[in-house]
Parts: sequence; C-alpha cells; structure tokens
Amino acid sequence: MDLNHPLLASAVDLLPPFPSSHPQIQRLDRSLYCQICKELFSGPVSIPCGHSFCSRCIRGSLEVMKKCPSCNEPASEGSIRRNRALEEIVDSWEEARPIIHGLTSNNSRKRSIMNTGPKNAFAAESTKRPRKESTSRSVSPVKQSSDKKEEIDGDADDMIALDPYTNMAESSEDVKASCPLCDITMPIRDISRHIDLGCQPIKPRPKSQGRENLKADWKKVFSGAGLVKGKDVELKKITKPNYSLATPAELRSVLQSYNLSTFGDKPALAHRVQEWILLYNSNLDTSHPKSLGALRAKLNEAEASRRRDKEKGREEMASELKTSDGLARYAQDTKGEFERLRREIMERDKKRVGSGAEAPIEIE
Amino acid sequence: MSQFTTVQTSPHKPSVGSADSGGLAVNKRLRKELMTLMTSPTSGISAFPESENNLFKWLGTLTGPEGTVYAGLTFRLSLSFPSEYPYKPPVIRFETPCYHPNVALKTGDICLDILQDKWSAVYSVHTILVSLQSLLGDPNNSSPLNVEASQSWADQTAFKERVLTNYRPL
Ligand SMILES: [Zn+2]
Ligand SMILES: [Zn+2]
Ligand SMILES: [Zn+2]
Repeated sequence: MDLNHPLLASAVDLLPPFPSSHPQIQRLDRSLYCQICKELFSGPVSIPCGHSFCSRCIRGSLEVMKKCPSCNEPASEGSIRRNRALEEIVDSWEEARPIIHGLTSNNSRKRSIMNTGPKNAFAAESTKRPRKESTSRSVSPVKQSSDKKEEIDGDADDMIALDPYTNMAESSEDVKASCPLCDITMPIRDISRHIDLGCQPIKPRPKSQGRENLKADWKKVFSGAGLVKGKDVELKKITKPNYSLATPAELRSVLQSYNLSTFGDKPALAHRVQEWILLYNSNLDTSHPKSLGALRAKLNEAEASRRRDKEKGREEMASELKTSDGLARYAQDTKGEFERLRREIMERDKKRVGSGAEAPIEIE
Repeated sequence: MSQFTTVQTSPHKPSVGSADSGGLAVNKRLRKELMTLMTSPTSGISAFPESENNLFKWLGTLTGPEGTVYAGLTFRLSLSFPSEYPYKPPVIRFETPCYHPNVALKTGDICLDILQDKWSAVYSVHTILVSLQSLLGDPNNSSPLNVEASQSWADQTAFKERVLTNYRPL
C-alpha cells in the first residue's frame, strides 16, 4: 500500500483519533460524535427517543425514513429540538481536543521539552484554558483540585510538573502556545482552527466586520425581509411529499427568492430546493448560524463536488489536497503509524489465511 | 416553515462547525470510515477504495468465521456507494463465488435486511462487513436467493462440499 496515497493523506481534515493508551479519552471523544456523519456534533438536536444527531444529519435521515436511525423509534421533523447543553459541550471539546490530543499522543516529546525549560507554554496553559471562570483558583503544585482532574486524566504527572506555569498569562485571549503538530507558536484560541486547516498559518480574525455582516443578514431573515412572506408559504406548500407535484417554474421561483441558481432540469431543481431547505432549517438549530451567503456557497460547493465526483472521480481533489504543506506534513507524521498498522494486518492475515494469500488491504 | 419567523436566535459568533452537505459530506464520511478501518482494524474484515480516483467504489475482503463451513475461506466483495450515502445503503456483491442461501451464486447479489429496507444512516462499512460475516454462519433460510443452498443447509457436510466446489481463492 502506498502510504502517500492521497486518500490517506487527505485524512488531514478529519480529527486525528486518540491513541488506545487513553481509553477514557477515546470514549469521551466518541460520545461527542454524531452517529450519522461520524464527526463531532454540529448543531446537535434531540428527537423523542432521546438520541441526538446533528440537525442537518437527522433532517436528511428523516427525509428517507420517519424513525430514529439508532433505535427505530418513530420520529418526525416536527419533533426535533435543539440540544443546547450538548452544543456547549462539543464547542468546549473542540477547543480542548487538540490540546488534550497533544498531551496524549506526544508524551515522549513533551517530556523532553519540559526538561529543557518553560518553552512549552502550550501544555502549561492547557490546564488553565478549558474553564473560563477559573481565574482565581488556588495553584497548588501537589494537590490537583478534583474539578481539574476530570479534564485531563491519566496525565497527572505532567499536570503537576507544569502547573507552576499556569500563572504566566492572565487573559486567555493573549495566551500563545505552540501547535502540538508543527510547533509554530500562535494564540491558543487559534490552535484548533489551525489544526483543522492542516497546520496552515491563521490570519488574525477580523474583530467585528464579518460579524456585522452576519448580523445584518440574519436580521433580514428573522424580520422576514430576506424571504418575502408569500414565497415562504409557497415554499411550505411544495416541501417534501409534493416535489413530484411542483412544476419546474414553481421550483425556480422558490430558488430565485433565495438567490439560488435556477439552472437544470426538474430533478436538479427539486434536489436543490430540498437541499436548501435542509441547510436552512438545520442552520436555525445552532448557536453559530452561517450567513445566507455562506449557506449559498455551501450549497454550490456541495453541488460542484457531486458533479466532480460523478464526472472525474476524485482525481482533481486528491491532487489539490496533496500539494498543501500541512497535508504533506501530516502524511509524514502518520506514515509510521499507518505503516505499523499495515504490517500488523498483513502479519495477522498471513497467519490466518496461509502464505499464498495476498494482503487484505491493497490498492489495485 | 414557521421556524423562519418564530425562532429568535441571536447569532453570536461565526460558525466553527464542521458539518458539510451533499457530495462533500459523502466524501468526508467515506474517508472517515476508511481512517477508522485503518486505525482500528477488525480481524477477518477489510475494505479499501478500488482506486484513488474514485472514493465511491471499494473492494472488501471477508474471512469465514471459525466453526462454520466457510472457516478459512476469504471472499472478495465489491462495495458501491450512492451519492446519497449514508442515507441510502451501498450496493454490495460477492465477487468471489459464494454458495450460501442468501447469496446469488452467479451475480453475487446479497439478501440482507440491513442492506435493503432495514438500512439506517448510522450503519457503516464496518457494521455491514461484520453483519455479512455473521450471515455466513447464520443464514436466513426463509428468504433465500439460492434456493438449492437453503435446502441443502441441513446437511452441513454435503453443504461444505458445495461451498468448496464453487469457491475460487482470491
Ligand atoms: Zn452529524
Ligand atoms: Zn433513538
Ligand atoms: Zn433551556
């Protein structure tokens, strides 16, 4: 198997799994994944049985069948409720995850850094960062307060050793730290985004401008200005069960009212309307709604991606991904791990199947 | 669509969420599954995309469970994912001839409820392969695709002979 295989290299936009040496953290991490998209919940909602999914994910599933995909209990779109507590947990975890991941997977390197001096502000600050209101806690290098323990278990030694540094910075806004993957120093709040982007440099966030635009966009939505009331009713009329009854002209007028492309035949139009409603509705189930422009971009992106997949396979995307710096680095970082796994699998299979058998995982 | 006007959410920060939609999401979910299969492999099953240019077609292998007439035999499978995955199930076929009550010997078509009407979006390549593995040793003789096989299941010695006659090593 080629370990520079683009399919593996492109895994960089996926969150790296925790090592099996930390089963508790693996479990915590897994419990925050949506069972449909297998990623951290985004805009989590609950349905009557008590199961939770991303709003977008369960809405998509309910289009196909009106029951919970996990337990088969009846469910409908109308019974979807936001799960705000879960959203808050996932948000916090998203921030804390790269830090804890660095601690669990990089122990040996971290120790050596620790021994050479206080350079590792990253690990040090991680004990402080997760709790916003813990600015005045007592700093005792020996006794870990019990509420700290639950955050990072199994690494108590490190925490104690590093604890004296937690007083270095007062405001978490200004705290800088080094990325556990590439060692570049940056404000700590940028790290998870930086890692998500494959260790790309993060431009300083614009303080308010983008936010203002967003606000304006959403004011429009909630006041109904972006919608046109009549169209809203029309849209409701032709939702799910009636796509077959809607004329292309009706679909086009719906799309037009949201400034969406009206190109394509009837199935394409219906698909676009359906997709838009899903995006739009699920966007209302999150504390971080995207602007209408961003939703539109997402819709277009998804359509373009589907076209690409159909026409040319993944070739384009794969080579695109391969060129990025961070990807190359990630591939390098994970190469050893994958190579080890591959050998393990091959050995195991040889034993079981006999020497004539080929490796279970292969490409051609 | 009453939500459009009644929900009073005040957006307080730009999204950092990661959920995609449509084609992008399928892509990402498939790569995610691949990564999970690679990093926490299960004995007796494996799957990998056929070529690096097409993430929607995979090849898998399945080893017959110990204690069944399929023990020690490895079967090749083809998996083909629709663009609506995971809302719609992948199409899965045996590429290695498999003499089994719920497998069509010639085409490799499989009759398994979770691949048809019992499919759910929470299932994955991993759950499918594990289910297929247990189907090998525990056929559903009430809905056979291979009627002859379902009738001869009772006599395991004769059945095994037929399995081996039809089998072709990878
Ligand atoms: Zn999801
Ligand atoms: Zn449920
Ligand atoms: Zn409440």
